[in-house]
Amino acid sequence: MPLLEVKHVSKEFGGLVANNDVSFVLNEREVMGLIGPNGAGKTTLFNCIAGHFPVTRGQIVFDGQDVTALKAFEVSRRGLARTFQIFQASGDLKVRENVMVGAFMHNPSRSKARAKAEATLEFLGIADAGDHLMTELPVAQQKRVALATALATDPKLLLLDEVAAGLNRSEIEDMVALIKQINTDKGVAVLLTEHMLEMVMVLSHRVIVLESGRLIADGEPEAVVKDPEVIRAYLGDHIVSDEEAAHA
Amino acid sequence: METLFAELAKSLVSGLIMGMVFALVALGLTVIFGVMDVVNFAHGEFLMIGMYTTLLTSPILKVDPLVTLPLAGLVGAALGVMCYYGLVRFLLRGPMVAQLLGTFGLMLTLRNLALLFLGSEPQIVHEGLLVGKSYVFGPGIVLESTKLAAALLSIVSFAVVWWLIRRTKLGMALTATSLDAEGARYMGISTERMNATAWAIGGASVSIAGGLLVNFWPVDPNVGLLFTMIAFATVALGGFGSIRGAFYAGVIIGLIVYFPPAWDALSNFGGLDWPSIHSFKYTFVYLIYFLIMVFRPQGLFGWKQ
Amino acid sequence: MEAIKNALDFSDFPRLDLSLAGAVFAFLLLFPALPHSSFAMATMIQFLMFSLYGMGWNTIGGYAGQVDLGKAQYNGIGAYTTAVMMVRWDVPFWVSMPVGMALAVGWSFLIGYPLFRLKGHYFSIATIATSLVLKDLFEVWDFVGAATGLQIPIRSKLPDFLYLQFRHDYYYYYILLALFVVGILYLNAFRHSRLGFQLRAIKDNEDVAKSLGIDAHWCKIKAYAVATAFVAVVGSFHACYNFNIEPEDVMSLDLSVLIAMMALLGGAGSLWGPIIGAAILVPLKSYMGDWLGAASGLEGLNLIIYGGIIMLIAAVQPRGVWGMVEAVRARRRGGYAAS
Repeated sequence: MPLLEVKHVSKEFGGLVANNDVSFVLNEREVMGLIGPNGAGKTTLFNCIAGHFPVTRGQIVFDGQDVTALKAFEVSRRGLARTFQIFQASGDLKVRENVMVGAFMHNPSRSKARAKAEATLEFLGIADAGDHLMTELPVAQQKRVALATALATDPKLLLLDEVAAGLNRSEIEDMVALIKQINTDKGVAVLLTEHMLEMVMVLSHRVIVLESGRLIADGEPEAVVKDPEVIRAYLGDHIVSDEEAAHA
Repeated sequence: METLFAELAKSLVSGLIMGMVFALVALGLTVIFGVMDVVNFAHGEFLMIGMYTTLLTSPILKVDPLVTLPLAGLVGAALGVMCYYGLVRFLLRGPMVAQLLGTFGLMLTLRNLALLFLGSEPQIVHEGLLVGKSYVFGPGIVLESTKLAAALLSIVSFAVVWWLIRRTKLGMALTATSLDAEGARYMGISTERMNATAWAIGGASVSIAGGLLVNFWPVDPNVGLLFTMIAFATVALGGFGSIRGAFYAGVIIGLIVYFPPAWDALSNFGGLDWPSIHSFKYTFVYLIYFLIMVFRPQGLFGWKQ
Repeated sequence: MEAIKNALDFSDFPRLDLSLAGAVFAFLLLFPALPHSSFAMATMIQFLMFSLYGMGWNTIGGYAGQVDLGKAQYNGIGAYTTAVMMVRWDVPFWVSMPVGMALAVGWSFLIGYPLFRLKGHYFSIATIATSLVLKDLFEVWDFVGAATGLQIPIRSKLPDFLYLQFRHDYYYYYILLALFVVGILYLNAFRHSRLGFQLRAIKDNEDVAKSLGIDAHWCKIKAYAVATAFVAVVGSFHACYNFNIEPEDVMSLDLSVLIAMMALLGGAGSLWGPIIGAAILVPLKSYMGDWLGAASGLEGLNLIIYGGIIMLIAAVQPRGVWGMVEAVRARRRGGYAAS
């Protein structure tokens, strides 16, 4: 069952083409990786799908509904949650309150929202951070709170933008396990962009590749990284470790 | 027919003249905003201080009020630098609210310092080479020489600041900071010093405008607010941070506010007699700000969004 | 039902705060019985009025973080509605007050819609502009007495609870105190409500808030309406308390700024902040005005000190007095140790 259908989406800023005729389908319960060199237009595509930017051309269908013209808050109410690459917390809200904001989306009552937030924090293993301010937490925990807040909205699809940035090796492993858990236990589909190719390979059922705003590959992770065009476009002019180059 | 023409010409001229002064008032605000994204709510108080500087020093020094303009500029620049190092520098560390709060506090303090030391009576320049003199241009167009001088000197001051920013090394450093403070810092440009420079230029230009204005506009401690609002409207119309925009917008606002025939026509609109429509002229300034910000936030000539 | 439970739920405050609040409330309740000058009574009434203004402002300015500097226009709408209805049609306060509130809220929706397309400074300046426009209109509008304003006629029999006219100030005091308590309870429910949380999320990061299903524009308009309702009620009260209203008095920019200043000084976005701010600034202003005002020949000195305090707070702790308290408490609580 397709959950998200992106059909011929283009996004232009003035004369600059950030996304050019991008089409792909993401199925229910699927984990999809979106990769591509810096400036390929990954975050722009996220912003278009989530309704933060209006698209220039094309159509986006989510869960059987045309969401192309909807605003971000309307898209998210239909079950599409996201995290942001740069997460700035001014520090006014405590962690539990932060997650409650997400939980309030489907629970107008405070006690229910609170219970939902507690359960989500528990699920992500940060139940003990509830009374702290966001700014008091280390980066890895802040990312978990952002994930918890998005998850508290009971999404069908989760867009994760560079969720491993700034994490060390063991924290990344924890994050991978967490995303797997979210996908299998909660049945949430995931679309993630990541610099850390390794993480995308481990997690994704399928990978799509953007280059200069165009989609150049779509398939199984192993097949995609062997695709000569992908290697040329992405791996070729990027810093690649020997191991990865040999593997490709 | 001839009187109508003369009337129109007269209004046009007075609108243009006030517009030039408004442009100079707005210049300081837009320079400061352009360099550091700070809105100074005490801007009108800088103008008030410029007005008092000219008013008070010209009888003491026994010179014409216009001669004291450099002094007004100096006082304004010094005040600007003092405010930057003494206050604004600290406000920048906090959230936007801090800037609002801080410059409001500054406004209250400056205004009431003037009240304490100079009293609340409106005062005006009585003696000067140009005071009371006027030129006659054609039938019916009488121009007070103080206003004419104010317009001309406003243009000169505006041009000097424009030259300073566009043609000098200092100005380029300022522009670099306004575009990308961090990048400029890597090139060895001190953000602190550039910010202080912007406040000096801003303070000086608005103080000079005050020195010009006091020749025909009475000064009292509360004179600032109206000009702060006019400056906001002007800067909004011209685009926040745009110097060229401030000039055109100043002239446009001057024409709108000082176009009496238009107001008379409005007053008699539809045969009604609305005696007080004249008092609405500044209301339109506030409306312009509101409408421009809502419908064209980048202003007519804006480059900063 | 839950709203009532939320209104009475103060459990997230430490016991120290609640005992202090209780002591302050006991003092407020007993104040008229204690020996006091009429000047002190007038100051206390000002304190309660500004607390209410500040509580209202806090919803939009504090919780939502939109620094509104145009609240005086709604004070004017409330005050003028009550005054006009009393002077022209002899309508009691308890009828005109809700009408004024409704008119003010209606107007707030009308201008709130375009206003909230703006952010940051641009928004703040625009609120000043709208308030000044309305004031200019009232100054030439003959129906409401133009620049000279309106004078409410004194009733023949006092005290008159319908028209809110009393010989003694303590009647006014207790009516305000009742409004004050209602205001606190309402705000306590407000901050626990979904809207309260949504506004704080918007203040934190508007893009993130939108991604959580929050219609930021509409939430701000709602909060603006709540703030407006508070201010309009106090405006109606002000008309009865002062008898005499004029645009320069009830709709001035100074009033708008004062409302925002007090809430910011005390700590915007917290329940006690606006009250703390009013408790500091109102007595300071009125007593300094008394000691250093026109009579002593030092006109302006009080406001210089006032401006100095505001600058100092802005530079040192822009989150206000309550921000300092919270900073100290966070330090005591210690950081988070990941388990």
